[in-house]
Amino acid sequence: MTYVDLKDIRVSYDGKNNILKDLNLSIEKGELVSLLGPSGCGKTTTLRVIAGLIEPNDGDFVVDNKNLTRVPVHKRNFGMVFQSYALFPHLTVKENVGFGLKLRKEDKTTMNPKIQDILEVTGLAELGDRYPKQLSGGQRQRVALARALVIEPKLLLLDEPLSNLDAKLRVQMRIEIKRIQRKLGITSVFVTHDQEECFSISDRVAVMNNGIIEQFDTPEEIYNRPKTEFVARFIGFENFFNLTKQGEKTYTTSEGHMLKTSQSWDDTKLVATIRPDDINILPKGTEQDTNMIPGKVVVRTFLGKSYQYEVETNVGKILVNGPKETAYSSGEELLLQFPEEKLILV
Amino acid sequence: MRKQRGLSIISMLVFAFLIIPMIIIVVTSFGENPSIQFPIQGFTFDWYLNVFETNSLIQSFFLSIQISMIATILALLVGIPAAYALARYSVKGRDILKSFFLSPAMIPGVVIGYALFQFIVIQFQMPIFQGLLLGHFLISLPYIIRVVGSSLEQLDFSIEEVAWTLGCTRVRAFVKIVLPNIQAGIFASFMLAFINSFNNIPVSQFLSGPGVTALPTSLMNYIEYNYDPTVSALSVLLMVGTVILMYIIEKTLGLASIS
Amino acid sequence: MKNKAPFILLTPGLILLIVFMFLPLVTIIWPTFYDGKLTFGSYLSFFQDNYNLSVFWRTLRVSLIVTLICILLGVPTAYYIARTSKKWRGLMMAMSLFPLLTNSVIRSFAWINILGTNGVINDFLMKLGIITEPIKMLYTDSAIVVGSVYLFLPLMIITLVGVIENIDLEMVEAAETLGANRLTAFMKVVLPLSLPGIIVGSILVFSGTLSAYTTPQLLGGNQNMMLSTFLYQNAMTLGNWQSAGVIALIMIVTTIIVMKLFNMIAAKFDKRGGEHA
Repeated sequence: MTYVDLKDIRVSYDGKNNILKDLNLSIEKGELVSLLGPSGCGKTTTLRVIAGLIEPNDGDFVVDNKNLTRVPVHKRNFGMVFQSYALFPHLTVKENVGFGLKLRKEDKTTMNPKIQDILEVTGLAELGDRYPKQLSGGQRQRVALARALVIEPKLLLLDEPLSNLDAKLRVQMRIEIKRIQRKLGITSVFVTHDQEECFSISDRVAVMNNGIIEQFDTPEEIYNRPKTEFVARFIGFENFFNLTKQGEKTYTTSEGHMLKTSQSWDDTKLVATIRPDDINILPKGTEQDTNMIPGKVVVRTFLGKSYQYEVETNVGKILVNGPKETAYSSGEELLLQFPEEKLILV
Repeated sequence: MRKQRGLSIISMLVFAFLIIPMIIIVVTSFGENPSIQFPIQGFTFDWYLNVFETNSLIQSFFLSIQISMIATILALLVGIPAAYALARYSVKGRDILKSFFLSPAMIPGVVIGYALFQFIVIQFQMPIFQGLLLGHFLISLPYIIRVVGSSLEQLDFSIEEVAWTLGCTRVRAFVKIVLPNIQAGIFASFMLAFINSFNNIPVSQFLSGPGVTALPTSLMNYIEYNYDPTVSALSVLLMVGTVILMYIIEKTLGLASIS
Repeated sequence: MKNKAPFILLTPGLILLIVFMFLPLVTIIWPTFYDGKLTFGSYLSFFQDNYNLSVFWRTLRVSLIVTLICILLGVPTAYYIARTSKKWRGLMMAMSLFPLLTNSVIRSFAWINILGTNGVINDFLMKLGIITEPIKMLYTDSAIVVGSVYLFLPLMIITLVGVIENIDLEMVEAAETLGANRLTAFMKVVLPLSLPGIIVGSILVFSGTLSAYTTPQLLGGNQNMMLSTFLYQNAMTLGNWQSAGVIALIMIVTTIIVMKLFNMIAAKFDKRGGEHA
């Protein structure tokens, strides 16, 4: 059941270049959806359209069957956590958190317990009378979260909320955000450029590029089966080469090597991709078979848990990770085997 | 940018308020009528010619340039070392010293002008020129202390210490290392102090005598006796000068450095 | 060595300031307290004279009104400038700076042209037939107010733009996502955060108006004296050096009190807490 619906959203600042191009996105109730992509892909713009900070040039934005496209930001009742946290420096933690409640003209008797509750949930119970300046980065982050949550928003929007924290705190906070989000069952949209962060926290991920959504799927699906070359590159696929379709699930490289795949596509010309970890290295002299391409090691680098080889083949340079038990030296010839279930067509 | 209609209306009115009086001056400087009129009748450059033919104004202009230039340079020579000492060393009572150096900016100009008039002209019978120069030095000093001081506060003095370890004397290190790194601040403070001195009225008003009258004072005297477009014409010429100065500042430092 | 260097560097400035500012000030102020014995008589009689008082109160009143108008017009304008795109912001800043760098005689002269008996406004109204006799606008307190606002509004704007530019726009957006409309967000977030700038700007405008000479001289005339023109008249026209000294000290003390007062207001409102604990 769709709860949040973006229909054909188009945003252009100058009337010529579109920041968002007819973007469509449907989010279900209680879901945590991430918008993932490089800077400039339009993910923050999308979030700001949802928040109401940007009015789209075209398209509709619907929440709970109500069209909110022209509803101004302050009437939407969405909680938003900003990248800079945007805490009000002239107000205490309690006053920051109570800001939204006060605007809703809430009574002190109902307001104070609400503030106290959310401060407990976010682990800030002791810090209510401090000013933002007197807090650490992680604490400020929690205040921003508490301030967004206390108004009981229909949607929680998070704009790269963890990017100002150090690595250890970032992992801690994302677990914390996930826990609170689950506990309150609040539908959330999370913007990030960090793939690991995104996969760990999200129910579904929308990978964005150039103002469109390239793929919208579960983290597992995106990690294992990217649908476009852009998505594949963005999530760590390194090797790309062209294939021509010969028959059902059977393809040849430009040099005539036969490759079988578990996926089936209708296009005759395709690009195949595979992660360095998923390629098997076989010593020279192994009997040549389908899904095998010969090559020569150019460079070997030690990665700690494995060796990485840059292998020169007739489909181009291929990066391969091999076990550290057997080290091939540069100049050595070998065979690369591409398992058919790991070979992705995009 | 989202629309904010109320805000833009107020702002546009404010800008109109700031600019329209200037435009009126420009327009009236071309009118043929010997008393100032707006809108003008006819069109003439006579009033501009008249500016150059009015000796008292021309003389004052050159005197003002001279006074402001010497006073500002003097303020730089005295002010830069003082600003350096205040920023670099933890001198006892630094805050008090600093406010003392800035105090000419806090004391009303007419008070400084009058005090100098009493002290220099009446008590010590010194020439007015010296009094005028000293007055302008006093009002220029705070600009130097403030602007140069803030660039010195942003300077990492370890670069000076490195120079010492490499065998530089203190004076040489100051000249070769510190000065080049605060030159933007020095230039900005010079411009500010010069413009302020050139435009100053309250101090100059008290220190004026035969042949020694600063331009703004001359202009004020002129307005009191003749109300004709010569003043408009001179104003336009001075405004053109201001625009040129602003252009130079914008191209070298950026206008933000003096605001 | 270490102790001598700052001493050498500071001495020339200190000597010049002491000899040519401090001593001259003492020269004009000392006689107001001492005529054979220590006395406050000059000051008591100054404040007992109705005319003197009227000048004193006019100066404070005009300075206060000018400061308030500059806040009212300056805050929205500065907010507008700070939030405009870079290209336009530069132009607007230049438009604010230009009057500031222009001679105050010229700026007051502009208002003589506008407010005078044959000035732009009277001319215009008479041509339209709205009035038959010119209205007296020049040589009034209001003329001084208008001229002073014209003189000091740019100062307020430029001071405030610097402060408002540093307020994170996300702060306003955060307030809006929490349910504040634009006006509320401005009043509850932007205004309190601009307060330090408003205070600094107000000090500049108030003390500037208080000590300005050109505007009251050219737009106020002899009937509407302010302390600065009154000082000049006493010193140079009447040769009453005793009174001039009294006025000088009153101006200095008033300026200091006003600054302290503004800073006290700032301290009272500024409860942003200490540095990072």
